[in-house]
Order: sequence, then structure tokens, then C-alpha cells
Amino acid sequence: MAERICRALRDGALEGEHAPALTIKDSIQSPFGSLVFNHVLSQLSSFIVAQKSQSQGIVLVAFSRGPLYYEEFFKSKGNDVASSNKWIRVLDCCTDPLGWRSKLMESGRIANLTLGTSTTASLYKNVKDLDKLLLAITELGKELVGDGKGRFVVAIDSVSEMLRHTSISSVAGLLSNLRSHDQVSCLFWLLHSDIHETKAIAALEYLSSMQASAEPITRPVNGQRGNSEKLPFLEQNLRGGKIHVRFKRRNGRVRLMSEEFCIEQSGIKFTPISSEAEMIAQSLVPKVQFNLQLSEKERNDRAKVVLPFEHQGNGKTIQIYDGRKSLNEDKPEMQYTSAEKVQTVKDSGRGEIIYFRDSDDEMPDSDEDPDDDLDI
Amino acid sequence: MAGNKPRGSSFSRNFSAASNTISQIPGLKHGPNGTMFLSSGIPDLDKILGGGFTLGSLVMVMEDPEAPHHMLLIRNFMSQGLVHKQPLLYASPAKDPRGFLGTLPSPMLSKDEKSRDRDAEQEKGLRIAWQYKKYFGEQNSELQRDGKSEYCNDFDLRKPLERHFYSGQQIDCISLQDSADLTTFHDRCSSFLSQTPRNDRNITCAGRIAIQSLGAPQCDFSDKECDMLSFIRSLKSTIRSSNAVAVITFPPSLVSPAFSKRLQHLADTLVSVKAIPDEDKELAKLLTGYQDMVGLLSVHKVARINTQVPTILEATTFSMKLRKRRSLILECLNQAPVDGSTGSSYASSSSCSGSSKTGAIDF
Repeated sequence: MAERICRALRDGALEGEHAPALTIKDSIQSPFGSLVFNHVLSQLSSFIVAQKSQSQGIVLVAFSRGPLYYEEFFKSKGNDVASSNKWIRVLDCCTDPLGWRSKLMESGRIANLTLGTSTTASLYKNVKDLDKLLLAITELGKELVGDGKGRFVVAIDSVSEMLRHTSISSVAGLLSNLRSHDQVSCLFWLLHSDIHETKAIAALEYLSSMQASAEPITRPVNGQRGNSEKLPFLEQNLRGGKIHVRFKRRNGRVRLMSEEFCIEQSGIKFTPISSEAEMIAQSLVPKVQFNLQLSEKERNDRAKVVLPFEHQGNGKTIQIYDGRKSLNEDKPEMQYTSAEKVQTVKDSGRGEIIYFRDSDDEMPDSDEDPDDDLDI
Repeated sequence: MAGNKPRGSSFSRNFSAASNTISQIPGLKHGPNGTMFLSSGIPDLDKILGGGFTLGSLVMVMEDPEAPHHMLLIRNFMSQGLVHKQPLLYASPAKDPRGFLGTLPSPMLSKDEKSRDRDAEQEKGLRIAWQYKKYFGEQNSELQRDGKSEYCNDFDLRKPLERHFYSGQQIDCISLQDSADLTTFHDRCSSFLSQTPRNDRNITCAGRIAIQSLGAPQCDFSDKECDMLSFIRSLKSTIRSSNAVAVITFPPSLVSPAFSKRLQHLADTLVSVKAIPDEDKELAKLLTGYQDMVGLLSVHKVARINTQVPTILEATTFSMKLRKRRSLILECLNQAPVDGSTGSSYASSSSCSGSSKTGAIDF
């Protein structure tokens, strides 16, 4: 199912549609959002390098971890650093987000410390101005894929960091503008859900088409306060957790999926849910009625039913139905109550009215049975 | 299907010769209590609401953040307006709202409509078994096809609206993201509505306003809830005195509950859309036609203009389906036949299945 997310991001946006957007959420109980982020990043990068995806490059907006970290990360994944210039650009908003360092350097307060910069990173110093940030991202993207039909992926290291500096409405504006940009294939971002207001989280969920939230496997019951009882939970939660995904599909239905993950040396590994199936009980169904409409087949069958008296005036002779036997049997065996001629009408396409008398011992008392003068 | 017949009274409105020309205008028709209707663009919704959207009313649609169904309602509404040549004002939080006009659906050709003839109100050729039928002549019970197809078109969501519908039309598109507050938008709405004032003279045309996602997080004024409320209030009063309908969608999950409640009370007609979970076995067992459903639509309030009598609907929740993936239809939710062998009780989730408990009942 994590594969599904990566595949959805890899396939990207259709023409004229907003780009798919993934929110990765975590919290202090299960602080593995960054690992999930790294996993998605490495998957997408492998798709891009193998040229299997809609996009040709990634623009990584790094707020919480610097470009050096990502260099190491990609090296450990086996990607060649030298050629990474072709498919990744890092917008470094981590080293000097507000431009203080450069101001201090200009005024000579601190020495010019050259941090090992990589060729793929560009420094961005004005995170409070999101319009400029949008411009910087799109420019980097255009650098990567050219101006025409090329598309790029935007990965935002931590929207939580962005929300520290600016308001939710400007962040939401940035994200929605990125989604509707022609050249953005997909975007994904990381969010720490317990440090923001619910309104901010709701706004970000509104803007995303997929949400993956990392949750602990078990939650300690509130009553247990003693450390000795909490430790096993903590241990378990530090080794792995569950990831719940909500997909907003194109047809408007929402798919919910869950998987377990565990943290290993090489990263994160996803496994399908092993334990008891959790039923997501949603009793949203309002008052339902019984179906009073007829389907096509039912309508056809109803049209075929033979009603008494219906064919009178059509020129056929009158035939009295005696309720003991079904229509398709031989008529000469029936009792006639009137002197009218009876014709056997064998019509296999018509429906029948089958009438079973209560008991076969009784003498047929045609005088009493009102159905006897029904004329089919 | 819930088809509301307007409450009959012993008084009937005398439509004078002058106002008879109104019925000649396509897209408008007379409603009860001296109101006029214009079509929502979805035939089933018009039937449910008793004729359409009342002229001079404010329609609110509560969005579901997980599904884009409110866009279907807005698209059909706007397309209907363009087909009937009614001036249109569209506002959305996107940077380029004009791009949305390219996604409007085209009306379906009439030959496709005939296959959709499901008139539940009149049974064509009702077969009556009557003993004395042979003594009387054949009754002609032919279904009259009235020209009502002009009032509301069935829209094909897969075909974009043809260019000739756009030409010569007044379509204003406003982006809500640009403005820091609502005053400029408010002025534009007022000037738009002044073109279709309501007065005793004949009305020439009706206007449509479609505002999408008011309160979306991208707009700067989204946290200024008082400003938004006063905007909606003044819009409502301006609309009342003009011949126009405004459809506004807003996301109730992103605004404070008090604001959401206030907006719901301000609305004349209140509708909400809801997403349904995919591949939910419980729902599939409970409802027929679950496979085709894309969402649920609930009607909470129907406009009550010039009357104190509320409209009480037989059913308030309808399933949204795409017929042949093309046109939007709304159907009553139907309970799936209870399988006698399983006998699982749905009593917890639906209110009318109290009798479907487990166990065979022997008489």
C-alpha cells in the first residue's frame, strides 16, 4: 500500500487536473514521519532515474534538514551523486531561512564560514515571503526539466517549519498554486500533527489528495501512569507502527487502507496488517427506503403477466379461467360453467397465474369462487 | 423519487397577459406563492426541490473535504445558465478561474434523452383488468410529452460545452485569492445584481452567481469570519431584491462550527454532499446500487419565500450516480433486500429495519 502511494505519485497529474498531493503526518507517539518521507523520496527518485515516471526531476524544499543530509541519504541509497545534478535540486531553506547569517557575515560579525555546499543546492533566505518561494521553486523546476512539457516533483521537507514562519493561508495558497501549476507532476510534504491547530491540519488535509498518518501500534491506556507499565508500549512504538492512508479517488470515493511498518537499519519496511482486522465502523447511513422502482427485467416480466378481461374486444373468444389448473395445461379437462366455446391458447411467452386451492378434496364449487368468471 | 407537488389551495394566481411573457422566457417558470424558478441544471434536483432554485434565494452547498462533488453541482448550474443565456458571475479561490469554464458540461442531445424516459409520475399505458371493458371503447392513455425539456437540460459531463454558448455571454470570473478582503468582491456582486433588478415590470432575464469554496484556506480573508458573514448577509439581501440565484459552496470542516451554523441558517436552500468510502462491504450489503454511487447528497432546507409553509421531503438523502458515466442522477437510497439466511441486523445503522432481526419467525 505504500507502493500504491508511490505509484500514484509517480503517475502524476492528468491534463487539466490538479497534481496529486500527499500529506505525511506523524506525532510524538509515532515520530517516524521523516522516515516515511525518506522512503517516498527514494522510491520516487528511483522511478525518475529509471525514467518510469511522469516527472523528470525533483525539487526538494529542505526546511528541517540541510542539503548535506540529503546528499548522504542519496549516497546511501546507491544513487550517484555526480549525476544527481540532472534530476534533483535542493532549495536550502534550512541553513539560513531568514537571512540572518548572511546579514551577520556582511556586517563582519562572524567569519565567512563556507559550509560544504553541494552543486545541487541553492540557498534561500526569505522564507517569510511565500510568493518568492513559489517563484524559486518553479524556477528550479524549470531549470531541471526545461520550459516545455517537462514535469517535476516537489517535495517539502516539513510544512511544520513553514508554518512557524508564515500563516496557514499563505502556506495553503502556495500549495494550491503548486498543485495547479502546469509543470508540477505531484507533490508531497511532511507535517507533525501535534504541534499545530486542528484548523491548520484540516486545511492541509483539504488540499491534499492522499493522507498517510503514522500511528503507534498500541496506545497506552490513560489510566496507566506508572513508568513500568508504559515502557513496553514505548518500546513497541519506537520499533514500528501503523500507517493509515486515506485516498481521495477521482470518482469521489474515499479509500482507506492500513499497513504496519517497522524500523530497521536500512530504513523503513512496510508489511500488511497482521493482527486482528480493524473494522472502521462508519454508520453514516441515513434513513433508507425500500425500493419501489422496477428494474428493466422486472418491468418486462410485469408486462407479460396475463390479466383477466384484458383481451376482450380484441376479437378472440372468451375463455373462462377456472382456478384449479394453470393455464398451460390441456383445457378439455376443465369444467365449463358456460356454454361458450373455449379455446386453448398456448402462449409460452406469457406469464401465468397459478392458483392453488386449499385442498383438492373439495368439490369444485364454481358458484362460490369469484375468480371463476375471470376471463384471461 | 420524491416529486413534490406544490400545495394546492383554493386560490390560484391570475397570471395577467403581461406576465405571461415570462413563461416564454426559457429557463424560468412560475412557482407557487408568486415565486419563479430557475433550473439547477440537474433534473432530479429540480424535482426534489419542487421546481428548481427560487429566484431571489441563496443556495448553500456544504462541501466534504474528501470529495469534489460540489464541483458537479456548480458545473451543472453554470452550464444551465449559459445554455439559457443568463448572465453569470463565477468566483473561486483559484488564481485563474477562467480555466474552470473549460470544464463545463454540454447539454445532452435529445436522442439520448429519450432513452432516459423514466417518468415515475405517470404510468404509461396503465393496464387495468376490468370486467366491463368490452362494453366501452378503448381509452387513449397516451403520455403527453411536454416541452419541459427546455427548462432543464441533462448535461453530459464528458463533453465540454461548445464554444457558441460562451460567445456574446456575460461571464464574470473573479479570483478570491487576489483580494485581501471582500469589499471589492462585494462591489462586483452588487454591480452584477443591479443588472437584474426586481420590479413590477417584466423581467427580461435572470442572473446566476456561483461562488466556489468560500472560506478555503488559500484566501486571506478566510480567518476573518465576521467579514465573511457580513458579506453573505448583504449578498442575501441584495439577491432578494433582484432576479438572481446565488449558489455558494463552503467547506464546513475548515471553518469554526459557529460560523458554519450561521451560514447554514443564512441559506434559503441548504444542500450538503458527502463522500462514501470505497469498497465498504457494510455499505454494499446495506444499499442497492452501491457500486455505481459516487457520493451522497442531502437536502436540509428548501427555500421558503412568500410562505410560512415548510416543504417536507419524503427523503432527504439521495445517492449521486453517474448514469453511463455521463449525467448526474440522484436516487433515493434503497435498502438492499435482506438475505433471509444471513439475517444480520442493520438495526444499528438504519432506522427502518427494526424488524429485520435474526432468527426465523414461524407462524
